[in-house]
Amino acid sequence: MVMAGQRRPMGPGQAGFWRSRQGLLVLPPLIFYLLVYIYPLSRLWAWSFFDQHFTLEFYRELFDEPAYFKALTNTLEISFLAAALSLMLGYPMAYLMATTSPRARNVLMAFVLIPFWTSILVRTFAWIVILGKNGLVNHLLGRLGLIDEPAKLLFNMTSVQIGMVHVLLPFMVFPLYGVMSRIDPSLVRVARSLGASPRRAFLRVFLPLSLPGIGAGCVITFLLAVGFYVTPALLGGQGEITLVMLIDMMVNTLLNWGLAATLGIVLLVVVGIIFAVFSSLLGVERVTGK
Amino acid sequence: MESEKIGVFRVVLWVIGILVSVFLVAPIIIVMITSLNEMPYMEFPPHRLSLRWYRNFFTSPHWFEPALLSVRVAFATAVSAAFLGTLAAIGIGRGQFRFRRALEMFFVSPLVVPVVVLALGLYLLFSSLHVLGTPLALYLGHTVIATPLVIVIVLAAVRTADPEMELAARSLGAGYMSALWHVTIPIIRPAILSGTAFAFLISFDEVIIAIFLGGPDATTLPKRMWETIRFEIDPTLTAISSLLTCVAVLILVGAEGVRRTFQGRSAR
Repeated sequence: MVMAGQRRPMGPGQAGFWRSRQGLLVLPPLIFYLLVYIYPLSRLWAWSFFDQHFTLEFYRELFDEPAYFKALTNTLEISFLAAALSLMLGYPMAYLMATTSPRARNVLMAFVLIPFWTSILVRTFAWIVILGKNGLVNHLLGRLGLIDEPAKLLFNMTSVQIGMVHVLLPFMVFPLYGVMSRIDPSLVRVARSLGASPRRAFLRVFLPLSLPGIGAGCVITFLLAVGFYVTPALLGGQGEITLVMLIDMMVNTLLNWGLAATLGIVLLVVVGIIFAVFSSLLGVERVTGK
Repeated sequence: MESEKIGVFRVVLWVIGILVSVFLVAPIIIVMITSLNEMPYMEFPPHRLSLRWYRNFFTSPHWFEPALLSVRVAFATAVSAAFLGTLAAIGIGRGQFRFRRALEMFFVSPLVVPVVVLALGLYLLFSSLHVLGTPLALYLGHTVIATPLVIVIVLAAVRTADPEMELAARSLGAGYMSALWHVTIPIIRPAILSGTAFAFLISFDEVIIAIFLGGPDATTLPKRMWETIRFEIDPTLTAISSLLTCVAVLILVGAEGVRRTFQGRSAR
């Protein structure tokens, strides 16, 4: 073992050399990603093209059957609605957090963080407890004499949207709050002192400055919503089939792995396109928050 | 007149804020209260209180064994994700090579890939390797989805840490590994710790990979809960839900505590 003091101090050239070597640290994670992330996805891709030998049969099946296309548009509609609702609820919440006292902000932040880190399964189950046949809402409505028999509140589009927005809302609030908290409040004050009404100051100064947060929040919630599995499966009915539900059906009931793989690739491509479109509209930095 | 308008605006804003908070938190609290119910069905508000569903969870192997498996898988996932994520974060934050930006995007990309798609791919791969239905399969799958989060958290810390500190250590004769271990790692340690905690939580709560890759032999707690919710509603679920929420809150508070402690120390 050589003592530290005996080593030759290094010059600036060596510093550059060592700095460049630090990049080698990415190799172990890179290898792990290639083996357990990229390789399985490429297997999936291969499965969508092979049935004994190369075939486009699965893709043709997807395009020929209108039900599959309907699943795609359903997925996009549901995800769009969920993202829009999250924005409507999340924007005022984030605005409040960004403009109130630090103490109130911490409390509100805790209200967003606690559900955010609570298991999705727990939160979905909670809605079953609340909206179920013997659930809290039916109990209250019955007590008030508004209904004679329990209303069917579960297993429809409304319950899916409630469950999805509950899961997505924190993903909307965080980027919104991140951007809003960095908006200089004196800008709004200047607008006000120059004669702008509060509404005008908000619409012309604050809202445009918060647009990056809106963009980032909408992309994240929309992308997550497209891939949702647990919430639609537990709270949804059979009426509105989504891509993910189709995949689930192919795997668990029809055992059609080729078609499942093809649907998986379609889902991946949809997510990729959404991400690419939004990031070129908003700039990658704004979408990824850096 | 104007200030009156602003007053009304603030009131409306607070009403919305409180309603949103209730929407977010009330379901969890309602489940917690329901879990104290004594009846063999779920009742809110409970008429008679008891802890029987908690006792049921801790004494029945039907629930407790999956919970133990979940802890084991989550522990292995947290350690591996912390290791891989920290290496990636230091490599990207300190290394100087081309395509660093692209590599960073690649490393965090599993965050936006639908987990169903990843689970499908892993299913096809693992079934040919005969590891389907083993804890190993779950551990590998969970590590893929937990590592990006560690990278995001640790990379933020690496970027704010002063690179001149390492250079100083190096110029004073510290070896490369020594500078990394004694200077860089201690600076970013709070971020690594909270990244590890969140990686643990992600694996512990994960459902989709557990369903697709677990099979009958490797059933985690979320998988058992999933099956139970789908086929019968068992009030034990309310007790488990409350416990899981408490675990999440404890980890959250712990990670925040670690961050504050270290911040306080460096401020002194």
